[in-house]
Amino acid sequence: MFSLNLDKQSDTRSELVENKYSEQVQAAVTEISQALLGKEHQIRLALCCLFSGGHLLVEDLPGMGKTTLSYALARALGLDYNRVQFTSDLLPADILGISIFDQNTSQFSFHPGPIFNQVVLADEINRSTPKTQSALLEAMEERQVTVEGETRKLPEPFFVIATQNPVNLAGTYPLPESQLDRFLMRLRLGYPDQRAERELLEMDTEWDKVENVKQCLQVEDVTEFRRQSATITASGSLLDYVQRLIAFTRGKDEFHFGLSPRGSLALMRAAKTWALMCGRNHVIPEDVQTILPAVVEHRLRAVSDEDGHTGASLVQRMLSEVDILE
Amino acid sequence: MRSEIDYQIPRSALSWVLLAVMLVVAPQALRMPLWISAIAVACIVWRWLIYAGRLGYPGRSLRIAIVIFTLLVSVSQMRNLGIGLDSAASLLTLGFVFKLIEMRHKRDIYVVISLCFVMLMVAFLYSQSAVSSAYIALSVLVTTTAMVALNRSTLLDNHSGTFSLSLKMGLQALPLAVVLFLVFPRIAPLWAVPVQNNGAGTGVTDEMSPGDIAQLGRSSELAFRVQFENSPPPLHENLYWRGLVLDDFDGVTWRRTRRGSSYAQAASLNDFQWSWEDRVRLSDDVIDYNVIMEPTQQPWLYGLHLADPMNRELFQSRNFEIFNNGLITKRMSYDLRSYRGSRTDLLLLDSVRRRSLELPTGGNSQSRALAQRLRADTDSDLDYIYAVLARFQQNEYFYTLNPPLLGDNRVDDFLFNTMAGFCEHYASSFAFLMRAAGIPARVVVGYQGAEYNRYEDYMMVYQYNAHAWNEVWLEGRGWVRFDPTAAVSPERIEQGVEAALADDPAFLEQSLFSRSRLGAMDWINTLRLRLDAIEYEWNRRVVNYDEEVQFELFERLLGEVTEEKVVLLFASLAVIMVAGIAVAIIWTEPRTRRTPVDRLYLQLGRELDKIGLGRQRGEAPNDYCRRVCEARPDLAPLVQEITELYLELNYRHADLQASRQRQLQSRLRSVLRQLRFRLMPVLKSQG
Repeated sequence: MFSLNLDKQSDTRSELVENKYSEQVQAAVTEISQALLGKEHQIRLALCCLFSGGHLLVEDLPGMGKTTLSYALARALGLDYNRVQFTSDLLPADILGISIFDQNTSQFSFHPGPIFNQVVLADEINRSTPKTQSALLEAMEERQVTVEGETRKLPEPFFVIATQNPVNLAGTYPLPESQLDRFLMRLRLGYPDQRAERELLEMDTEWDKVENVKQCLQVEDVTEFRRQSATITASGSLLDYVQRLIAFTRGKDEFHFGLSPRGSLALMRAAKTWALMCGRNHVIPEDVQTILPAVVEHRLRAVSDEDGHTGASLVQRMLSEVDILE
Repeated sequence: MRSEIDYQIPRSALSWVLLAVMLVVAPQALRMPLWISAIAVACIVWRWLIYAGRLGYPGRSLRIAIVIFTLLVSVSQMRNLGIGLDSAASLLTLGFVFKLIEMRHKRDIYVVISLCFVMLMVAFLYSQSAVSSAYIALSVLVTTTAMVALNRSTLLDNHSGTFSLSLKMGLQALPLAVVLFLVFPRIAPLWAVPVQNNGAGTGVTDEMSPGDIAQLGRSSELAFRVQFENSPPPLHENLYWRGLVLDDFDGVTWRRTRRGSSYAQAASLNDFQWSWEDRVRLSDDVIDYNVIMEPTQQPWLYGLHLADPMNRELFQSRNFEIFNNGLITKRMSYDLRSYRGSRTDLLLLDSVRRRSLELPTGGNSQSRALAQRLRADTDSDLDYIYAVLARFQQNEYFYTLNPPLLGDNRVDDFLFNTMAGFCEHYASSFAFLMRAAGIPARVVVGYQGAEYNRYEDYMMVYQYNAHAWNEVWLEGRGWVRFDPTAAVSPERIEQGVEAALADDPAFLEQSLFSRSRLGAMDWINTLRLRLDAIEYEWNRRVVNYDEEVQFELFERLLGEVTEEKVVLLFASLAVIMVAGIAVAIIWTEPRTRRTPVDRLYLQLGRELDKIGLGRQRGEAPNDYCRRVCEARPDLAPLVQEITELYLELNYRHADLQASRQRQLQSRLRSVLRQLRFRLMPVLKSQG
């Protein structure tokens, strides 16, 4: 069930308008696809997440290309990249950094941790203790870290890609809902299709391909995307639709709890970015429907849920039962 | 091996199904042999273990073995019990519980659930009392819950929610059930279920030998309930529920003289010679009452002397016994009018006199001698009767349920040796003494006494009220009732058998929680009377609601009942119900205010729906447009333009200028018109 891809595929979408933005996105997607074969839609969603200024949670079984995606993403956008492998004995200081006494200057000097990078890959985030998890998540929300009383800004853009194994594997600390909510999107990569798999098998190693990924966007482009997406038009009809979607999750028996305002804001933000990425200056229902599973799945939970994986079927219900017009 | 993944029944659905099965089988278990219940429990446990992954489904050979076993069982059951409800019910139960362990797919569960309902109907065949009806209603509710649980999204997994949903459904169905109960035509059954009488020997029989009624004294089962209409109930000592008249004595047993082979034939026998009015001198002391009798598997009924049945299907015999036309296999209600103190048979036919004086030729010489001696000492028949009663009263006679065994000359033995007996001993010997002295006498069996239920104002007569007394024919007075037991134990008649036998350990020994044992505890007694009151009301209002009562209801509703009126009633009820549902639907449907643009766009979906391309719920405009264009490329330009206009109108601008909006809207309308034109079937066939 885990790697079944329930997402709407964007291959068939024609509402793409050729302009600067859509071309840039297409270039980046093509570039990253060299490393991660046959996952164009997921790459697009990851880009959308990044351009929306949100953080990404990739959840899948080991070996599905989670790390590859994040590394390729950082390379294509020309961002600093660092990877933190989360283990059960990882401490907050290992991520944030630590002050060390310098004999020469007779002062404490701060040694920034791996979090001071533009793209941080938090690998297997659910293997570390809640304490370490929350250190990272705090940094994600505030975009700054406070170590020994001194607050330090994190670089711009700041983008965390956390990966996690399905929580029902042994030795994990599942993220609570409050922390899941901090991630703008949760993606599942899923198994590659037959063609991509064949191509993969024909290659020597996967890592070489990642090295081949060339930078095709500048940091300024990322900022530009973020700035532009705020100007995208969302008409009254569209907002009605989004409100109906949100209302559907609230006060229903099946839903353990409804979408939070943070969730609905995230939905709107991602939908606008997606519209921009498609080269449009207005949001249409398709945009909302495309990003809905990634944005909403991890925030929803059915009443009968025990391990947090009923979001997908709930989202399918939202899509099929909430009409785009009343 | 099949490679398909087995359907996994949701845990909640399975638990509800198994609970329903348990509830459904439980009432059958009371009637079936113990080993069938054991099999049922084993199957339920087995099914649960299958769910838990501890056991597998039965293999092919095992299933064949089970089928053969079931067939063998059913054959042997039919041989033992005969072809009837019991054997059929146990066969059904066996098949039902075996179905559980091969309950693999969803359809199997539906079969099991349907069988649950069938089993509940079988339970209804056995008992329709208020308690069992309540139990069955609960079982129906649980079975419905199982069905709900099976179809409820697995995302919802709380038992109370599932149960409350089924409760809601049950309550919604209730008004319909009530209406159908009241007005649905009652059709006389085309066939009757042969309910086998397992507990043979409940109630009074048409033979009486010493010990028969004493046996009934040990049972606290209900015999019948009586409600007096517009008059207070008679005193306890006058409550002689007359059953049968026994006038044939062979030295041991009193029997009813049968003319013809069946009771039905007795109805047609017309040896009255005089009409009813001639034989009876009616008194003015009239009392009306209704009796609801428990099934006895016998045809006769009970009433106070002299009872005149108000129901058509009842008739009186020549001894003024009351008979039903057929055996009483289910609870039966009948109305009687009694003329108390009426005199019967002021003139005695010779044949009847002969029969009422007949005694076996030999034996019981002591008693015969006693009769001769006493009669010689007294002046009249009446004095003689009093002398005999005085003898019972003044000597050391005991009233007991456990009389000593009697020898060959039973009457002698009782009168002179043991001097202890139950009512039948006294009645039997009293009648013997009368006949030996040449006075026509006979034994009457029935019930004496009753318990008053103040909550619903009716009386309950139990099996332990069974009694035997005598009727003696006296010149000028006809048949007169004498009760020798009253001479021995006056409290039996005045206060009831409980008072008379309170110290007798044999009294009610068959019932653990007998009323007299619990009677000491006041609140339990209250509870018992209340429960019985509910049961009584249930029987009167629900179980006895038959064609006749229904007709009365129609009459009250419609005045004169005609076919048109009944049809009209049905039709109007149907209309009211459908209209009610429609109003409810319209009421609960949220009213939407659609913009003109939305209305136009929805019209596109409706138009295309005619060619099978309607828009699905939640389908976005571009997705829909693409689907339609793929299916009907010829419509592509129009549909694309509509979609484009719709997107422009609805999504492209935060707010659109009014003039531009009007312009686009009229364009949308005109394109839609074109589309409708294209879709017109006439043009299509031409094109």
